[in-house]
Amino acid sequence: MGSVLNAEKQREEQKNRFFQKDNTIATKDRIVAWPRMGNIDLSMVALVSSLGVKIVEAPPNSNEALEIGVKNSIEGICLPYKLNLANYIMALEKGANTLMMFQAPGSCRFGNYTKMAQKTLKKMGYKFDMVVFDMYQSKMKQTLQAFWHVTKCANPYRYYKGFSTGFNKAFAIDTAERLLFYTRPRELNKGEAERCYKKWYKIISETTSIWGCKQLKKKIIKDFKKIPIDKNKIVPKVYLLGEFFVLLDPYTNKDIEKTLGDLGVEVERQIFFSDWLEHVLQPSFLYKKESHRERCVRFAEKYMKRAIGGETIETVGDTVYAAQNGIDGVIHIMPFSCMPEIVSQNILTRVSREEDIPAMTLVLDEQTGKAGYQTRIEAFIDLVKRKKMKENLGSKNKREEVLS
Amino acid sequence: MKNIVNEKIKNNYIGIPRAISYYNNYPFYYGFFKGLGFDILLSDKTTTKLINEGSQHVVSDTCLPIKVFVGHVVNLLEKGCDKIFIPSLQSTAYKVNNCTKIRGLPEIIRNVINKPFKMIEPTLDKTNNISFKDFCYDTAHQLDVFDEEKINLAIKSGWEFYNKFQQMALVGVPFEEAVKNAIENKVVSKPIEIVRPLSVVIMAHGYNLFDERISMNLIKKLDKMGVKAYTGLNVSRQDAINSIQELGEIQYWANELDLTGAAAYYMLNKKVDGIIALSAFGCGPDSLMVDEIQYHASERNLPTMYLTIDEHTGEAGFVTRVEAFVDMLIRRKRKKLQESNIKTLSTSKKEKIGYLEKEDKALTKV
Repeated sequence: MGSVLNAEKQREEQKNRFFQKDNTIATKDRIVAWPRMGNIDLSMVALVSSLGVKIVEAPPNSNEALEIGVKNSIEGICLPYKLNLANYIMALEKGANTLMMFQAPGSCRFGNYTKMAQKTLKKMGYKFDMVVFDMYQSKMKQTLQAFWHVTKCANPYRYYKGFSTGFNKAFAIDTAERLLFYTRPRELNKGEAERCYKKWYKIISETTSIWGCKQLKKKIIKDFKKIPIDKNKIVPKVYLLGEFFVLLDPYTNKDIEKTLGDLGVEVERQIFFSDWLEHVLQPSFLYKKESHRERCVRFAEKYMKRAIGGETIETVGDTVYAAQNGIDGVIHIMPFSCMPEIVSQNILTRVSREEDIPAMTLVLDEQTGKAGYQTRIEAFIDLVKRKKMKENLGSKNKREEVLS
Repeated sequence: MKNIVNEKIKNNYIGIPRAISYYNNYPFYYGFFKGLGFDILLSDKTTTKLINEGSQHVVSDTCLPIKVFVGHVVNLLEKGCDKIFIPSLQSTAYKVNNCTKIRGLPEIIRNVINKPFKMIEPTLDKTNNISFKDFCYDTAHQLDVFDEEKINLAIKSGWEFYNKFQQMALVGVPFEEAVKNAIENKVVSKPIEIVRPLSVVIMAHGYNLFDERISMNLIKKLDKMGVKAYTGLNVSRQDAINSIQELGEIQYWANELDLTGAAAYYMLNKKVDGIIALSAFGCGPDSLMVDEIQYHASERNLPTMYLTIDEHTGEAGFVTRVEAFVDMLIRRKRKKLQESNIKTLSTSKKEKIGYLEKEDKALTKV
């Protein structure tokens, strides 16, 4: 035990030496930026700005950003890194001087992102201060330390305000997204749910007060309920799972939820940002119910006996969960050459066969074309619908409904 | 005859695939299992047929070493082996983890191969307080050996074999020979070395480099071209750790010592003329480690070459690239020597005079 603590200390020292904290930048001169991932911006803006630091938002992920990332990173690295690096570069060009990023050693190549990015950016001649915090063990402490280093804010009320608004915004946007997934295939007037979501996205990003943020969730639910839907329509349900970044970033996954929703499929996504944040930042003795990960470990027991890093066990566990809870199909998405997800792809073949659930793997990289991707999804959805139809063979009406 | 062997296998044979951790730890495994009272059945050497068999079982994105590993497991099953040792080496130090595929080897095999057999699947995870001793105990318990004294003795004998192997590997005995002698409980001294004009360090995982089919005999090919090749085996653990620190890097991967460690050691000590990186296509850790070394090597003006291999790699193209690299090294060295000769002749005046005087004396003696 003592030796482990010792090793921990040594490694911490080593890390600190590598990511030398730059104290020369005065707090008021700091301009903070972070890599983009889906809706992470809403909460981060709320948190960092309430701590009293200036912010630069990197432009959203796009083809242009990806090009910059590909140009400056090595060939063999995975897609999320390329986008992260592009975000850093674009933010630095806009005048940022402090980059914040979390890392998780022990997962996969992800733990090495910050180290590589720092080296690449220094080589390119940028001057900046990189603030890194581990999301692996003693996470809350490290997170607070990182924010303290950046903001030097000692006012507990501000921390409370930042974390409270940040969390509530994350919850609100995820509620909106969940309702969007439910409403989109069922809505009577096409496009209404999408419009409603966009409206609320804007409102969420503009709300600043603590009380206002707390009310958001309720208001969103009320508003979505107003959209007229066909409640009796039988909608096939597809579970979306795979690599964390690709799932949460709509540019990278080519907005797969929308594609599926327009095909008349209800999507259930494996992970939402707020769920993950809640799980990661909460101390483990405060867990009230079974966490997502614990549930996955329980369901994956037949196929896997140990967690092996990355999201492998989540992918496998959720597939089994989906099969046993009446979900019609599973779409597994991952970036090209993702190490943990290749293992889960190998395992999914057997899970799909034994649990009798259709599963498809989509591999994404910078050369993914939308057309070929669309064809594969359509073919898969046809398969899922046909399977659902067979199950509902008893009633003729239902059969027609499913096929429509 | 075959039946007798099969009968024996069923009783107290344990199968070890000749892949992945075999290339790092086999002498230890040998001593350990012998100590526990088991005989060892190794799979055949890697062949193209074996790779093809392995790739039939896994999805196409999987990297070559894993395909080879699956092939070896299939080979063992064909031989009639029903106990196979497949360890899950999660982390070898605090927050120093292995590649996900190596961590999940038992999981892959369990789900990919449909034949019934008993898998011995101990876990080594020092981040979560599962020490090496626990790893050994776990192995023994899964083999139904519960006698503590016997297990301790087995661990001890395992280390004895491993230390002998290490001792030989450090002085430069080739891998195959070192393993062979270590198992026979012998220590051979350093082979007589022919002085070679060039030397390179190969940064590669043991399972890529010492597998003659995967690496296409790279070490021997270099040897024929007159190049001495150093590998990760020739660098001690402490040296490797120190040199990584000296470069200012943090050890992140468990097998980083074989790659970055070795390359960094030789780079910092200026013992080599170039670096050759050999890695399987799509290898996650390698893509980062090679980049790291390329960055430091370019700062020190040391040429590097990155060879990527997969199951379709043709030998001809491979050899051409190696030859071109060696040619380049030769030219570089020649140029360097010429330049240095010129410099010594025409440096400061005093030296020049001294040099001439010496020459004069030499002439007068004649």
